This record gives sequence, C-alpha cells and structure tokens, in this order.
Amino acid sequence: MKEPAFFGFARPDGRVGTRNHLLILSVTGLTGPAGRRIAQTLSGAIFAGTPYGSGLLGEDATAHRRALTGLATHPNVGAVVIVGADEGSVVAVADAAIAVGTPAAPVVLDHVDHDALTLVDRGIRAGAALLKEISSARRVPAPLCALVLGLECGRSDPSSGIGANPVVGAVADNVADAGGTAIIGETTEWLGAEDRLAARAPADVGAAIVNAARRREALAVAAGIDLTGTNPSRTNIEGGLSTIEEKSLGAIAKVGVGPIAGLIPYATRPEGPGRWLMDAPAYAPESVTGFVAAGATVILFTTGVGNSFGSRLAPTLKITANPATAARLPTQVDVSVANVVLGKEDNAAAAERLLTHLCAVASGALTYAEIFGDGEETISRFGEAL
Amino acid sequence: MTAAALCLDPADNVATALRPLTPGDVIAIAGVAAPMLPVEPIPAFHKIALKNLPEGALVHKHGAPIGRLTGAVRAGGLVHVHNLKSLKACGSASEQRREGRDR
Repeated sequence: MKEPAFFGFARPDGRVGTRNHLLILSVTGLTGPAGRRIAQTLSGAIFAGTPYGSGLLGEDATAHRRALTGLATHPNVGAVVIVGADEGSVVAVADAAIAVGTPAAPVVLDHVDHDALTLVDRGIRAGAALLKEISSARRVPAPLCALVLGLECGRSDPSSGIGANPVVGAVADNVADAGGTAIIGETTEWLGAEDRLAARAPADVGAAIVNAARRREALAVAAGIDLTGTNPSRTNIEGGLSTIEEKSLGAIAKVGVGPIAGLIPYATRPEGPGRWLMDAPAYAPESVTGFVAAGATVILFTTGVGNSFGSRLAPTLKITANPATAARLPTQVDVSVANVVLGKEDNAAAAERLLTHLCAVASGALTYAEIFGDGEETISRFGEAL
Repeated sequence: MTAAALCLDPADNVATALRPLTPGDVIAIAGVAAPMLPVEPIPAFHKIALKNLPEGALVHKHGAPIGRLTGAVRAGGLVHVHNLKSLKACGSASEQRREGRDR
C-alpha cells in the first residue's frame, strides 16, 4: 500500500470516508420536516434532503435522482435512513445504498397511513439501530490517493486569486499527482480562461469545456446579465483586477496546473482520479452539494471576506489569505494563509501547512462549519416543474 | 526583507503589490531574485511591470496571458485598465450583443 496520509473509513466499494455519519435523507419535500425531527432526536445524525419532489421534469428529475443517490451512497455515510412519500422513490435510493454496502432503512409515508408522527417514530427507531451498528467502525490508514476534494470559493476578494486559490491549487495538484481526485465547478468563473482549461484536457474534453463556458455565458446574456462586459466589475477593478482573463485565472488557480481528466455534469461521480471540472452553478450551497453528491469527501473552500457555508456530509475547510478576515472570523476560518499576502510565507510552505491540516481533518479533526452545523445540502434546479 | 509584491509564476512579466508601493522604495518581490524600484505609485493588489514592456506586448500573470498592452510600460510601472486590454470579449456572446446594440 502507498504511504498512509490520513485515517479514514474503508467502505465495501473501495472508497474511503473521512466521516462515519448516520444520514437521514429526505427524498421529497413533503417528508423534510419529519426527516429533520428524526435527525434532531438521534445524537450525531445529520440531515439532508430536497424541498422538491413529484413534478420535477427532465434534467431536474435526473439530476435530483443522481444527487440523492450520490448522497445516500457517499463514503462519509456509514448508514442511511431514507425518508419519503412513496415506496418506489425511497426503495430506489435504498437499493443504490445497499448495492455499495451501506446499511439503509427505508421509511415511507404511504406505509404509515400518511401520519408524519408515526413516520418520525419509525425513522427514529430504525436510525437508532443503525447508529449503534456503525458506531463500532474504526478508522484505518489510507493513502493520499483515497481523497476526493471539492474546490470552492465564495465571497472572494483581491487576496483570493493571488493567495488562497493558488495555495489550494498546489494542494489539489499534490493530491491529484498522488492519484487522488479534485473537482472544481462554478462554470461562469471559467469565462476568459476556458481556453487555458481546455488546453490542459484531452481534445474532445477541451471542446466540451469551451462549450460549457459559452453556454453558461449565453444563459446570462438571455437573462440580461452581461458577464464579460461588466467583468471584472467596478469593485474588481478598484481591487486591482484589469481583465476577465486575470479574474478567471485567479479563480481556476484552485484546480492547480496539472492535466484536466474530464468534464462532468452536475452531481456526477467522476469515472476516475485526477482533476475534474463540473459544469455547475456558482452559488456555494448548490455548487458544494454538487461536489459532495459526486463523492467529494473534503471541501477546500477559499474566501476573501468570509462565507459561513459548509457541507453537512463532507468536512469543509474555510481558507483565507486576507489577514483582516482571518483576524475578524477566528471561529469561521480553519486555515489562514494570510502570510502569503503579507509576503512572509511562500506558496509552497503554505500549501504544505494546508495539506497537513487537510489530512488532520480527513482523519477526524473538526472544521468550524461542522462545529456550528452551518450549511445544508442544496440540490440545484434547472427548469420549471409541473 | 518581507516581500512587498508577489510574482505568481516564473513566466510572468508582472507582479502583484501586497501593499501600496511608493516610487523610489527598493522592494523585494517574492518569486523574483532581484529587488525592484517602483517608478510610480502602485496601489495594493495592483500590478507592477517587472521589465520594460512595449505597446502590444502580452502581459502574463498566473503563467498565462491576461491581456495586451495598449501603451508601453517601464519596469516598475503600473499595469492596469488604463494600459491593458483583455484579449477576450470579442466574439463572445456578450460582446456580440453589445456590438449589435451599438450599431
């Protein structure tokens, strides 16, 4: 085995979790409140779900199914209680979980004469047994290649593009070069640098990357938003950014400099290791949930002025290079790389420090977003429903 | 000496000021061996030219071109929207829409 880098939970499908959660997953909006009550009653259980359900069409329906299945089968999930209205939708997700060796308990509103309180009772009892069962799991040594990183930024400022993002990029390169996986999204932020990303990918993937960026730009234009005309924004320009290329290169610095393996749709699991681009919206809750549903077990999240969002399933490390933000938000920022922007630490030294912290978190050290329970999985929407 | 500017890639011909730079101050730049002399005020997080650059030169940051100079810049000078233009924004959907509107 390769050199151990962290201690994780080895799953039957070969993946390695960084947490061993009992997940209460509501697969429809109707059972969301019941799912939350179940999670509140069981120590350490976490809740995820969607406010939507029947009536989702086309891409919404398939992306929702894919995302919910991705959460249920996530390596950070030791066991899952699946709560829903009808047997079909619940069993479909439960079967997917069982197929990867994750114990799953279906709890269905149709089976309890549509009484939400009885549903809660059943969920609590099933969840309690699962919690007891998974509590004996122990962490085992795991190599760096077992990590799947999601790379996010939110509320960026001038320190992000030159400090936090390149440091995260160096860590992403380190993990990917070791045979691990790193996923970046936020398609609108590729605009102006899409050719650079394409040049790092196989030819067919490169063309798809350029198309994805142009399609997202066309969406903005159709909505009356001029992405390149107002980008960089006045605030960006006052902050020192001159062109859209410069701004985008600062954003995509999170995915390092090595080759891009492929482009994946929202909430889709990559086919192999390496650096992957997810064609996805930029808003942090939707974006991070897309990474988590794709199997990301740790999120590296850079911020300029601060951003409280974290995934419930995947520990989310908040990283800033802004010295004032690091000082102002000591219980939000997990790792400060402000010394890079103060000229006192080089990128390589900061990246080594971040990697050490990442491995500690992958081994069980808590992030502030976990401690406060900030953030909740949010599956993206694409169009209208019936 | 604490670095006053940061050069992100060896191929770059600009560095980013980490604090406001004053003409005449000899500064150290992380990623560049030789000290530099700003020739005009460079605000924090703005770009300083690492060498004399002629009009039309490509400006590199993050190891990639970020635009073309619309005027010459001396080593130690400010590179920003007054002398740097994006290579993009032509042929893009937004630009075509803008041009259509202008006609």
